[in-house]
Amino acid sequence: MTRVTPSGPGSALAALQAALAAEDAAIFGYGVAGAYLSGNRKSAAEQDWTGHNEARDSLAAMISALGAAPVAASAFYQLPFRVHDAASATALAAYLEDGVTRAYLGLVAVSDQRLRTFGALAMQTAAGRAASWRGTTEAFPGLEAS
Amino acid sequence: MLAASAAALPVLLALAGCRSSDAFAGPDPLAGRPSVSPDVVTLQAVITAEQTMIKLYQAAVDGHLAAGQAHRLEGLLTQHRQHLGLLQARLVVPPGAAASPSGAVTASPSGAVTGPVTIARLRAAERASAASLVRRLVTVQQPALAQLFASIAASDATHAAALSG
Repeated sequence: MTRVTPSGPGSALAALQAALAAEDAAIFGYGVAGAYLSGNRKSAAEQDWTGHNEARDSLAAMISALGAAPVAASAFYQLPFRVHDAASATALAAYLEDGVTRAYLGLVAVSDQRLRTFGALAMQTAAGRAASWRGTTEAFPGLEAS
Repeated sequence: MLAASAAALPVLLALAGCRSSDAFAGPDPLAGRPSVSPDVVTLQAVITAEQTMIKLYQAAVDGHLAAGQAHRLEGLLTQHRQHLGLLQARLVVPPGAAASPSGAVTASPSGAVTGPVTIARLRAAERASAASLVRRLVTVQQPALAQLFASIAASDATHAAALSG
């Protein structure tokens, strides 16, 4: 595995791995959320789950192209709260997208311009999903609340 | 004698081959206006664009749209004001410096919004803003500034989607 350093290609790799880890967590989380949703919301969850799988594959390919091994997904993820109905499943979906948005924000900080653009556009996708699940927009997606 | 010495200091420095900036800490007052970094110029352009966006929303809220729509837009307007506040907080321009006008985005000379402000116009403005911010964030040197632009671009993109609903 390539060594991660504070700057240069190493930091780009670390940011890609963090984004991959967030996508893996989202894939797991949508599997849980989808079980409590129905109708249009279930369809939306399935569509988002597919999107996260595609993003995961893209990130894994990018990491491999850098000569590194993509970080493996965990078998189980600790959920931030108990999911037991449609409302909590919807809240989980928004929570997952917030996490993915924050992860891609890390890519925007690297020096590689293509990765910055990739990260910024991925943030828009995740923030859009989060807004859709939450029903409201936010002023600063991905940034810590000030 | 002391007064005479102080008055004669520039002459003495000149005789010694020194500039005033060699004897005193800080910027040389004879060096002209300090230059502004490209990041500052970019930030100023983004601030101007955000101010223009706020004027568009304000015009819509103030009377170009029905009351129900105006209420919906006020939430988005509030978030644009938050964008502006954080952008302005990041702006530190050296005293006496003037940014290059190149690349700056300016509103109309009067600053007024011309023509009707429709939902479609706001949606197009949001999309254009998000795209512009992504183009700009790859050019800035400061990673934190790039991240702020990316976050605002993501917010603008969600606004555009909200205006489509």
